[in-house]
Amino acid sequence: MMTPLQQVVMAVIQITVLISIILLIVPVMTFAERKVIGYIQVRLGATRQAGGIRGFAAGINKLSWHLGRIPILSFLRGLPVFAADGLKLLLKEDIVPDRADRFVFVIAPVICMIPAFATFAVICFYPGTLFVFPEPFPIVGGLPFTGFLTDINVGLLYIMAVGSIGVYGIVLGGWASNSKYPLLGGLRSAAQIISYEIPLSLSLLAAVVLAGTLNFRELSVYLAGVPTVTAAGTTVQMPLLAGIPLFLGFFFYLTCGFAETNRVPFDLAEAETELVSGFHTEYTGMKFAWFMLAEYANMMAVSAIAAGFFLGGHYLLPFGLQRFVPDSMPFLAQPSLLFFFGKVFFLLFVFLWVRATLPRYRYDQLMSVGWKWLIPVTLVNLLIAAAIRFIL
Amino acid sequence: MSILKKLLPIDIASGMKLTGKYFGRNFLQANRSKKHIHITVEYPETPITIAPRYRGRLQMLRDEQGEIKCVCCLACEKICPTQVITIEKGKKEGRKTPYPTRYDFEMERCIFCEFCVESCGFDSIILNHQFELAAYNREDFSLGMEGQFQDMFRVSPVGQHSIASSAAPDAPDYTR
Repeated sequence: MMTPLQQVVMAVIQITVLISIILLIVPVMTFAERKVIGYIQVRLGATRQAGGIRGFAAGINKLSWHLGRIPILSFLRGLPVFAADGLKLLLKEDIVPDRADRFVFVIAPVICMIPAFATFAVICFYPGTLFVFPEPFPIVGGLPFTGFLTDINVGLLYIMAVGSIGVYGIVLGGWASNSKYPLLGGLRSAAQIISYEIPLSLSLLAAVVLAGTLNFRELSVYLAGVPTVTAAGTTVQMPLLAGIPLFLGFFFYLTCGFAETNRVPFDLAEAETELVSGFHTEYTGMKFAWFMLAEYANMMAVSAIAAGFFLGGHYLLPFGLQRFVPDSMPFLAQPSLLFFFGKVFFLLFVFLWVRATLPRYRYDQLMSVGWKWLIPVTLVNLLIAAAIRFIL
Repeated sequence: MSILKKLLPIDIASGMKLTGKYFGRNFLQANRSKKHIHITVEYPETPITIAPRYRGRLQMLRDEQGEIKCVCCLACEKICPTQVITIEKGKKEGRKTPYPTRYDFEMERCIFCEFCVESCGFDSIILNHQFELAAYNREDFSLGMEGQFQDMFRVSPVGQHSIASSAAPDAPDYTR
């Protein structure tokens, strides 16, 4: 049994690893966004940075031009741009508008960012021990490093609750800017997130009804379709038909996830053609970077939840089809961190893909899609899931 | 049926299919040096193709003997809407036709209308394909005959760094 000190140290280590992974993926995502949207629009995306004919920047540009001839390395050509982007955000002047509510203005990005990161506390990346610390380690020697931070029984409830806090940051940021456009953007975001929280929860409820638990780890293992042993000692396995509500629910959840994270085509909170850039119009420098960080972390959280619940989590096949993979197969039958991150990265790619494809919804269209279509349809989906659970 | 059509996002799916197709094609072949699908050009390194009718900087031409073709009929000077051309008539040993001792071209006011080239009866001037005409000094825009600060037979100093323009003024192939 772990002592309190060991527990704290273990938690700190796991949180550090998790946050560093998020902080690593977020800037890579901003880089990938340039490249992916570039490729879709028959361009190359970022390949070089601004600079003169001579000098340091020109040297890097020349290097990246030669890099373009090497097959795989050529995709990394714009990387100096992303380093320059990060440096720029750090070094930029931090402007607070004259009549802004200073305290709220400063705290809004933090309110936006912390829930986005806190969501990852219950997300299960791997349903077991990744590795055990060797004995020579001072405090944590011999302790297992698990693929999840916490394994609480109300994991999903926690995600829903924490995820809803993020909108406070957006609304407060819009209000504290003391400007019309940010305020409109913040209010739009609030209305949008309230509307889409309902179908989001309903689509997740279908999964919960099937599995009969709110624990993220148990949910993802059960919904992958592999036989699991419950605490009572009986073996349970998801019926094959349950893949139907899962399949439908995945698309409903993804649609609502786009709305929850304020991404295109639901980015009415920062509709730049109407509202300059919405709630973060007045934000500059590091505070703006925090909003960006929160948005990308939210995208990751939504992708991780969708991957864990609907796409079979850490198993290979989605929608409960994992049962068809025979146990004798060495790698494919086992849960793996690789499968989970593969799914997460694919869903992150889908975010960019959709951004490059779909135009923004009009405000009334957004509301009508949310209330008139998604809520009834997710309710029907929940009904199907409940029927399958009741009959089979 | 219509309700099904409204429920199923067919249009979104077809749009995603199209963009996915383009992504796949470009992702696999965009950065290879041999086959390009992307429509953008990596400009300073890759020479760009310029349309034959492109109107770049004014340039004087020479004939086969290396003589300047211009005979100082002043047609270009007269027709120029912004009056950027100034010609001074002169004589040269062993040449029957008049010889321009001065042919000043002030590019900062030029509107690149190509009237001068059209009016020229001796095909002695041309608007070449040099498009990198930006400069830091005003003096860089006044061009003239050989021996002046910047003559009309060479590339402008700004354009000299680019591969794209290196072939344009001195090489005889103007249709590139």
